[in-house]
Amino acid sequence: MKNILRLTLLAALVLSFAHVNAAETLNGAGATFPYPVYSAWAYDYNKITGVQINYQSIGSGGGVRQITERTIDFGASDDPSKPEQVQKDKLLQFPAVIGGVVPVVNLENTHPGQLKLDPESLCSIFLGEIKYWDDEKIKKMNPQSKLTHSEVTVVYRSDGSGTTAIFTNYLSAVCPAWKEKIGAGKAVKFPTGIGGKGNEGVANYVKRTANSIGYVEFAYAKQNKLTFTQLKNSAGNFVVPGFESFEDAAESGDFDPKKDFYLWLTNAPGKESWPIAGATFILLAKEKTDANKSVVKFFDWAFKNGDNKAKELVYVPLPKSLKDKVRAYWKEKGIF
Amino acid sequence: MTRVRKRKIEGVIAMVLCTVAALTGLFWLVFILGDVLAHGIKALNLNLFINDPAPAGVEGGGLRNAFIGQLLITLCATLIGVPIGVLGGTFLAEYARGRRIARLISILSDIMVSVPSIVIGTFIYAVLVKPIGHFSGWAGAIALSIIMIPVVLRTTEDMLRLVPWTLREAAFALGAPYYKVIIQIVYRGASTGILTGILLSIARVSGETAPLLFTSFNNSFFSADMNKPIASLTVTIFQYAMGPYESWHSQAWAASLVITLSILTLTVIGRLLIKGRHGKR
Amino acid sequence: MRKNPADIIFSATTAIASLSVAVFVIGILYVLIMESSPAIGRFGIKFLISTDWDPVKESFGALTNIYGTIITTFLSLLIAIPVSIGIAIFVTEISPNFLKAPIGAAIELLAAIPSIIYGMWGLFTLSPIMSRHVEPFLKKITAGIPIVSILFQGTPMGIDILTASVILSIMIIPFTASISRDSFNLTPPIIKESAYAIGATKWEVVKNIVIPYSKIGVFGGIVLSLGRAIGETMAVAFVLGNNHRIATSLFDAAATITVTLANEFAEADNDIYLSSLFYLALVLFVMSFITLAVAKYFLIRAERKYSR
Repeated sequence: MKNILRLTLLAALVLSFAHVNAAETLNGAGATFPYPVYSAWAYDYNKITGVQINYQSIGSGGGVRQITERTIDFGASDDPSKPEQVQKDKLLQFPAVIGGVVPVVNLENTHPGQLKLDPESLCSIFLGEIKYWDDEKIKKMNPQSKLTHSEVTVVYRSDGSGTTAIFTNYLSAVCPAWKEKIGAGKAVKFPTGIGGKGNEGVANYVKRTANSIGYVEFAYAKQNKLTFTQLKNSAGNFVVPGFESFEDAAESGDFDPKKDFYLWLTNAPGKESWPIAGATFILLAKEKTDANKSVVKFFDWAFKNGDNKAKELVYVPLPKSLKDKVRAYWKEKGIF
Repeated sequence: MTRVRKRKIEGVIAMVLCTVAALTGLFWLVFILGDVLAHGIKALNLNLFINDPAPAGVEGGGLRNAFIGQLLITLCATLIGVPIGVLGGTFLAEYARGRRIARLISILSDIMVSVPSIVIGTFIYAVLVKPIGHFSGWAGAIALSIIMIPVVLRTTEDMLRLVPWTLREAAFALGAPYYKVIIQIVYRGASTGILTGILLSIARVSGETAPLLFTSFNNSFFSADMNKPIASLTVTIFQYAMGPYESWHSQAWAASLVITLSILTLTVIGRLLIKGRHGKR
Repeated sequence: MRKNPADIIFSATTAIASLSVAVFVIGILYVLIMESSPAIGRFGIKFLISTDWDPVKESFGALTNIYGTIITTFLSLLIAIPVSIGIAIFVTEISPNFLKAPIGAAIELLAAIPSIIYGMWGLFTLSPIMSRHVEPFLKKITAGIPIVSILFQGTPMGIDILTASVILSIMIIPFTASISRDSFNLTPPIIKESAYAIGATKWEVVKNIVIPYSKIGVFGGIVLSLGRAIGETMAVAFVLGNNHRIATSLFDAAATITVTLANEFAEADNDIYLSSLFYLALVLFVMSFITLAVAKYFLIRAERKYSR
C-alpha cells in the first residue's frame, strides 16, 4: 500500500513539473503533401521562437474534418474548399505553398524522368485498362525504353488525400472516362491496385513493389529517389517535373481572396507547365482569434524566411503578389 | 504390412507432425524477436533517447518525445485503471461473491479484455475528443485504462478467491470490519497475484496503438502536457514504418526493440512472480 | 456481520468500480449507435450487404470490409488451428518434462509481442519473403488446377490477404495453443492409462481419448482466437493494402473493418462518411462481442465439465 502511495505522489510530481514545462504549442494536421516543408519550417521556427508547431500529416480529408470539429488549431488541405463550404463551416482559407504531383514507377532499367506518359495512357493505367507495361500505347511513346511484359500494380492513397484530389481532378479534366466512372475527390473508388496511407505510404509501397506505379508529391519522389515520369501537358509538350515546370503552372493561377483563394492549378495552359500542380491550403477556425493570430504569425515568418527551404524541397513559394494578397486577407479577417 | 505396424507408423507420423508444429511456433518467436533485435540494435544509440525528432527526411534526431509520452500515457492509464480494476475485482470476489451480478460482470470483463481496441479508440474520440475540442494525452490514457480495467479486475477477482476463507473468518473473530479485513488481510495474502495482474495489464496496454491513433494523436515536439496531443512510441512506430525514409525505418526498429524488450520483461517478471507464489499453474 | 459506515463506503466504492465495466459496454454500444444513426438512417440494413465504398458519391456499404475481416480471419484460423493443436499435443504428450514449461512459456510470449511489431515485421521482413519466394511458388504449383488456381491469381506483391492471414495466424497461435494445452491437461490420467494398457499408441490416445474429452475447451479456445483475429488492427494495417473490393485471389489487397477504421477514421471529411465509419465500428463491436460471448460460453461449459 505504501508503495502505491509513493508511486502516486511521484506521478503527481512528474505531472505538475510537466505542466510548468509546457511551451506554447499550436496543433495542426492534414495534408501529407506539404508535410516535409511544414515540418522543416516548424523545426526552424521552434529554434528561433520556442513555439511548437505540431503538424501531423494525416491526410487532407483529416485536416478538413479535424478543423471542422475544432480539434486542432489549423488544418491543411490540398483540396481547396469551395467558398460556400468555407462559409458554412465558419473557416478561413489561404494558400501556403505550391507543389506538384508526379507519377512514380518502380521499373527495372528506368531512371527518373525517362518514361514518357500522356494523359490517355496514365488514365488507362489507373482505370486498370492497361494491364502490362509493354502495352502498345506506352511503347509507342517510349521506343528506346525496354519495357517487359510485366503486370502493372497501381498504388493509390487509401486515406482522404489532397494529393488524390489534385490527381483525380487532373484525370477528370483530361480523361472523360475517368470523370464519368470515378470522378474527382479526396478519396475515390479506385478500380484497381493497393492503397497506401499518406504520401509516405504510397512512396513506401512503390519502393517495395516491382512494376508498380503510384502518384506522390514531388518532394517525396525526390527525397526517396523514386523514378518519376514525364508527362504530356495541355500544350502538347512532354515536360519533366521540377521547380521550373511547377513555377510555370503556378504563374497561370489567379487566386481570388474573395473566393477564399479557391483555385485549381491542374492542366495549366503554359508551354512548360507541369500539368498536375496544385497549391496547398491552410484552414483556420474563424472564432479562434488568438490561436489564429499565432498560426498566421508562423506563416508570415515562413513567407519571409522559408522560401529557400521550400525551394530546397522542390516546392514553389507563393509569388510575392500572392503573399501580399494573403496578408491583406489576414488583415481583413482581423488576425494579422 | 500388419495392422499393428500401420498403427505404429501412423502414430510416429502424427508425433513428428506435432513436433514440427511446436518447432514452427518457436521458429516464429525466434524469427520475429531475432529480426527486431538485429534491426533495432543497429539503430539504438544514446541520441535516440535524448533528442527530439528532426524534420521529415532529415537524418538524425531521436525519439525522446515519444519515449516520455509513452511513459506518461501508460503511467496515467495505470493510475486510472489499476485502482478501478482492483476495487472492482474486490467487489466481485468479496461483497458480491456468488451473486448473479458478480458472474455477469466477470463474464463481461472477459469479453471486454478481447474487444477490438480500435473500437475503444472511436468511442473515446466520440465522448472525449470531439466534445472537449482537442486531442489529448488524457484521452489516450483513458482509452488505455478502459482496456486495462477488465484485465486487472479479473486477475484481482481470481487472486482474492484463492485467499482461504478461514483467514477472513479469523479476522472477523477479532472484531475487524470487512473492509479492514480486505485491505489488511486479503490484499496482503493476494498481493503477488494482484501485482502480476497489474504488470501484465501494463504490458498489454504499452503495446497498444489503435486506441491512441485518434485520442492522444501525435506530436513531433517534446511535450509532457497531458492536455495536449502527445507522442507515443507505438503511434510513432506506425508513422515511421509506413513512411518512406530510411532513417525513419531504422528509428522505428530501434523503438520496436525497446518496446518489445520492456513488454517481454514485464511479462516474464509477472509470470515468474506468480510461479514463485503459487507453484506450477 | 456488523455494518460499519466505513464498510458501507468501501463496499459501495468497489461496487461502482466493478459496474464501470458494464457501463463501458453499454456506453460503447450507445455512443456507437448514436454516432452511426445518420448512416443507419440513410443506408439502413442494406449497409451490411452493399459493396460500395465511394466517398465521392457518399455511398457506403460494409460488405467489402466484412468480407476482408472474415476471409483473413478464416484463413488465419485454417493455418493456426492445426499448428496450435500440434503444439498443445507436443507440450502435453511428447515433450520431455523439463521442456514442457519453457516451450509453453515461449509460445505464450508470442502473445506478448505487440501487434504493431507484428505489423512492422510483416511489412519489412515477411512481405518481401512472401512476394519473392512463397507466393511465386504457390502460384507455380497451383497453376493449371481449376478453381484452386483462381486463389493464386495476380502478381504476388506480398501486400495482400495471404501475408496478412499468415501474420494473424502467428498472433493467434498462442491463444489456441495454451487453451488447448490446458484442456488436454485436464483429461483424467486414469482414462489415458487404461487406453495405454490395452495397447493404444500415443497418437491413438490423443486422437481417441484426449481430443474428444477436451473438445469443448479446445473449441472455446478456437472461438476466442477468432474473436481476437476479428479485432486485430495494426498487424494487418501494414500488409493488407487497403482496397475496398471483393477479392477472389489471395494475392489481392483487401480491407478489414479494423484497417478501414485505422486508416480513414481521423480523416473522413463529411458527416455521412464519419457516421458510416462509426457504423462499421458498431458492426465490428457487435461481431466480436458475439464471438467472444460464444467463446466464453464454451469455455464455461468446459470448465463445468472438468470440475465435475
